[in-house]
Amino acid sequence: MPSVSTQVTWIVVGYALLVFVLALVTALRKQQRPAWLDQMAWMLELLLVVRALVGLGPLLGDDHPDSTSTYVGYLVASVCVLPIAMKSVQGDRATWSSAVIAVASLAIAVVAVRLEMTS
Amino acid sequence: MTSRGDDAAAGTTRSGPHKVLLAFYALFTLAAGARAIVQLTTQYDEAPVAYWLSLAAAVTYALGWYAIRQASVGHTGFASVMLWIELAGVLTVGTLSIAVDRWFPDASVWSDYGIGYGFVPAVLPIAGLLWLRKQKQTARADL
Repeated sequence: MPSVSTQVTWIVVGYALLVFVLALVTALRKQQRPAWLDQMAWMLELLLVVRALVGLGPLLGDDHPDSTSTYVGYLVASVCVLPIAMKSVQGDRATWSSAVIAVASLAIAVVAVRLEMTS
Repeated sequence: MTSRGDDAAAGTTRSGPHKVLLAFYALFTLAAGARAIVQLTTQYDEAPVAYWLSLAAAVTYALGWYAIRQASVGHTGFASVMLWIELAGVLTVGTLSIAVDRWFPDASVWSDYGIGYGFVPAVLPIAGLLWLRKQKQTARADL
């Protein structure tokens, strides 16, 4: 049975990839960024916060990650990326703003996989 | 159709492909910078050249981000220099990492033309330069 943090990480990866695909399709269809895409992005952020809180466990316990600084870096990055991306497209609902969300969610999926590799 | 003055006033809220470029540059500034700082501080002796080059890559991305932001409101001068420097950097470090592998016991961000990042580092400056060319045409047409 994989640990709780591993399970949450794979949920994050799956959901981030879902957001990536939907954002990409929205951008390729040259539609305005729909409100539901924002809601999905913020849901992803909520999951990332949960992942970060669960991820604090190994830092407090005896079972330290291989490289603590790398691990903390990935944890912090995973939480920060989406709010910054959303801020950069605030008030901009044009096609390219969905592509920004696609890039951010893909980056989050990559960071989550790397996080799992370091923990 | 907005006039050029309105776009400049709107600043970076103006939409376009540069928003995606800016997202990539911000991400790579963060990724390369954090990686370089962690490696320089925790394992400096393993591959100092590679780690300093990673830091140089991070600085290039930060400057590239600023350059593209400036170019998006019509000031294309800095970007036309910066994106070429970045492309030269990726190609030089990529080639060196293959040619002189004793300098690279550990990978740098631009090792093997950015293979560790899915070759995005090699594609970014080219995408940036293509966008810049269009951007210059738009700027000229608006004058």
